[in-house]
Amino acid sequence: MLRRNLASLVMGVAFTIAGGLQSRAQAEELTIFWAEWDPANYLQELANLYTAETGVTVTVQTTPWPDFQTKAFAEFNAKGDAFDMVVGDSQWLGAGSTGGHYVDLTNFFAEHKVGDLMAPATVKYYAEYPGNSGKYWAIPLEGDAAGWAYRKDWFEDPKEKEAFKAKYGYDLDVPKTYTQLRDIAEFFYRPDKKQYGIAIYTDNGYDAMLMGIEGAIFSYGGDLGDYATYKVDGILNSPQNVAAVDMYRQLYQFAPPNWGKVFFQEDNQAITENLAAMSLNFFAFFPALANKATNPNADVTGYFANPAGPDGKPQHAALGGQGISIVSYSKKQDASFKFLEWFIKDETQKKWAELGGYTCNKSVLESDAFRKATPFNEAFYQTMFMVKDFWAVPEYAELLTQINNHVYPYVISGEGGSAKDVLDAVSKEWVDTFKKYGRGG
Amino acid sequence: MAVVTSSRKKAFNRVAIVSILLITLIFLSPLYWIGTTAFKPRSLATTVPPTVLFQPEITPFIKLLTKRVQLTKAYDPAIYAASPWYEQRIYDGGERILRVGPNIQLSQYPNRFMNSLIIAIISTIIAVSMGTITAYGFSRFKMAGEADLLFFVLSTRMLPPIVVAIPMYLMYRVVGLNDTHIGLIILYTAFNLSFSVWLMKGFMDEIPKEYEEAALVDGYTRLQAFFKIVLPEAVTGIAATAVFCFITAWNEYAFALMMTNRRAQTAPPFIPSQIGSGLTDWTVIASGTFLFLLPVAIFTFALRKHLLRGVTFGAIRK
Amino acid sequence: MAGVLDTSPAARAVTRGWSDLTIRNVFIIPTILFLIIFNIFPLIYSLGYSFTDFRASVNEPANFVGLQNFRELLTDERIWNNFWVTAKYVIVSVGGQMTVGFGLALLLNRAMPAKGLITTLLLLPMMMSAAVVGLFWRLLYDPSWGPLNYALGLGDLAWLSNADVALYAVAITDIWMWAPFVMLLSLAGLSAVPQHLYEAAAIDRASAWYTFSRITLPLVTPLLLIALIFRTMEAFKTFDIAYIMSTQPTTELISIKLYKFAFQEWQTGKSCALAYIVLIMVLAITNIYVKYLNKVKER
Repeated sequence: MLRRNLASLVMGVAFTIAGGLQSRAQAEELTIFWAEWDPANYLQELANLYTAETGVTVTVQTTPWPDFQTKAFAEFNAKGDAFDMVVGDSQWLGAGSTGGHYVDLTNFFAEHKVGDLMAPATVKYYAEYPGNSGKYWAIPLEGDAAGWAYRKDWFEDPKEKEAFKAKYGYDLDVPKTYTQLRDIAEFFYRPDKKQYGIAIYTDNGYDAMLMGIEGAIFSYGGDLGDYATYKVDGILNSPQNVAAVDMYRQLYQFAPPNWGKVFFQEDNQAITENLAAMSLNFFAFFPALANKATNPNADVTGYFANPAGPDGKPQHAALGGQGISIVSYSKKQDASFKFLEWFIKDETQKKWAELGGYTCNKSVLESDAFRKATPFNEAFYQTMFMVKDFWAVPEYAELLTQINNHVYPYVISGEGGSAKDVLDAVSKEWVDTFKKYGRGG
Repeated sequence: MAVVTSSRKKAFNRVAIVSILLITLIFLSPLYWIGTTAFKPRSLATTVPPTVLFQPEITPFIKLLTKRVQLTKAYDPAIYAASPWYEQRIYDGGERILRVGPNIQLSQYPNRFMNSLIIAIISTIIAVSMGTITAYGFSRFKMAGEADLLFFVLSTRMLPPIVVAIPMYLMYRVVGLNDTHIGLIILYTAFNLSFSVWLMKGFMDEIPKEYEEAALVDGYTRLQAFFKIVLPEAVTGIAATAVFCFITAWNEYAFALMMTNRRAQTAPPFIPSQIGSGLTDWTVIASGTFLFLLPVAIFTFALRKHLLRGVTFGAIRK
Repeated sequence: MAGVLDTSPAARAVTRGWSDLTIRNVFIIPTILFLIIFNIFPLIYSLGYSFTDFRASVNEPANFVGLQNFRELLTDERIWNNFWVTAKYVIVSVGGQMTVGFGLALLLNRAMPAKGLITTLLLLPMMMSAAVVGLFWRLLYDPSWGPLNYALGLGDLAWLSNADVALYAVAITDIWMWAPFVMLLSLAGLSAVPQHLYEAAAIDRASAWYTFSRITLPLVTPLLLIALIFRTMEAFKTFDIAYIMSTQPTTELISIKLYKFAFQEWQTGKSCALAYIVLIMVLAITNIYVKYLNKVKER
């Protein structure tokens, strides 16, 4: 009896020590997974403050953008605990929630009123899945959307202004509509002088090109389908969308040469290397343009929000950005929750914005200090209230491949018939895909 | 007649030498360009016409080794003045180095470079050793279904790595080899083994059996004969095989990306990731490439005598 | 197993130390086992999945769907296009490597100053990571900020954005990277051709072409074939370079398609099925090669 008690005592002590060591080791370090870009470095800086306050080390682990999705899901699918939190794309919400990879944050949202703290669009697209379900899986972390940079000096040149007015009958200024965007692009397109009209996204490896096309589609008043009923036919291939895709193809005609695999670096470079008059990009990449050391034209670079459709309304923009989720396989979920509690505090959000992060916090966004902090924050602020996003269903990557398969050859090489033919073909494939996964009626 | 031929031959020889020199220059020009870009100021990296003459600087390497972010507002001149010179170079480029408390934060590059070294060297040693003895076994002893076995060995190199990636990933998870040095070492050994066996078998076949037989007659055991007679004869082949295995393991990208998260990450996936921040900084990518090419180039140059003599498979005819 | 060893004098050695049988087994079996574990196991694993609709990204059990994946793949025009692109790429790229590599070797195969240095310098491209090579060549090809078009006076030629040129642009990069490999093998073969054969040909006043086609080529062929086998296998598997350089449908090689199925769309079952189709093709091609190689060797 005594012996058994002794044995259990020893075992108990051993477990306590082991457990103590383990839990201490666990509490000391958290890992957040994100892509390799500046905001991730800003987040690391912010997290360093958390370390200073609490002693908990937070490491932001990064991987190049093209591999980000692959790597994150490889880890999820293996139920790995390498990452405690992940700053994932909005499209991942479907797979993350239905696949059981993300921890349900609905209670956390209610408890801390996160829905009231953050800008409505960011809550809707970065956090909620399925749409309007009231279930939340992420905290909006980095707000982002597509906007435009342009060459103020080219636009303001009196000679150019005169020539433009003579040709198009209205004043050369920041474009209000896609029609004007096209006119200006055409106007500045002078290949013999190695000067081109417009730089747009064309990389079809993931969602880059679609971001540009979405911007046009949404502003033309179109949609990618009904996200609640999964109805696609008649919406994706609507006359507005046909016009928008056709517009994107026209814009490509005024892009610099070899513009067929282009994402954010090249579009920024179009401005720094005096290649294009206007350039599409995510706001998160504009700091490089506002920086004199990296952009010799920083002083003459202006920014504007995505223009409206041809009738001057509606005006929308494609959403980028990410929310932060807790990985359900993490063994440090409590510590992760604590970090998120700290992260959503107003002071933290203010600090986050100061460091260069794009806060989604409503009050910080609306503050004068934020809107004047950089030349593009005002355009960002306006944009964040008119963003729309892609499908967030678990099979979103298949939808992406299918639309890329048809729209990319059309935009780049004019293949596949008319814009209508192309969108009809995509629509058919999307309908089949949804049927395959048993969505909708 | 013979005189004509030989003078014509000489002329041909000269033409050949001149053309090979020219071709070598053309072949190496992209490398020259990468190498110089590693020392260029950022603003000169993408000029047209290309910049050939410039003041070389070491800033790209400082950038490569530190964790930096874009400056979103002008830096404080007082802080600038108090910073060490290398940090000032970063400020000049419109960026700042991250700090944890007072300490400068290094990029992942140094750490990943070390991992690459450890993993590539050890896996090369294992792949070459196993390849050598297996090749010896195949070369000297008869075995039922030998040809099929050899074809099987070769076939393991035919699989697109993506075919095995998912099962491998899950298998590694189960046995806990994920994100470990050992995991990658084993994986790269498996990659290189078939190549190593095939190459070494070519060499083993060429080493005359009579050498060993003489040794056996002299009272050596088979093992002693292998180590003391055969191995020294095979050094050339071993060196050549090692170079190829090292190159493969050193540069492997896809699995390094998939199988590692923190501890065992290697450098190849890191170098292209430097395109991440707003604008492509080609000087940093070039400096990362330049440093990364050094070990493998040094290794190859050190073994070049063997390599040139060595990659002969079954071609040395007596 | 008495007939393990074919050389009789060594039979005496069997009594000392390890027997030949033991040595053979100890030398060969671990390697074979190792390769089985790392190749056969994953293969069986994926074979199982190839008959299911399994998606690794979703927490749902796999359903058996029979041959549906194979049927879908083999009737998909796009997949056939991927194979067609791959075939074109393999032919252009490997053909180019063989031509350039062998040509370089012919030029180098003579007494000349700094021969070793030049040969080693020529090997530098293949020592680099394919991902980085692809990245830099993208920059080289760029008409707006790359040096290539400027140096060659090609103006605005959009190498990688032009659907018709892109595949060749990628192949040129691959040739640049791997022609040195072929060169090295050919050089080894050439230097092993006995000099007296050339002398004999010279005495017979054989034409240069005759000497080349009747003496040089036959003796170098086995080595060229080995280079061909390895380069074809590698070209068939090409992923990094093409993926990084271009996303044109005309450069979508089969392994890029495989990657998309497996790691972007997470259609695990379907990707396993496609992997099997690819594997069978490569096996068939290599088998033909190896048979031919053995025939050449026997001559």
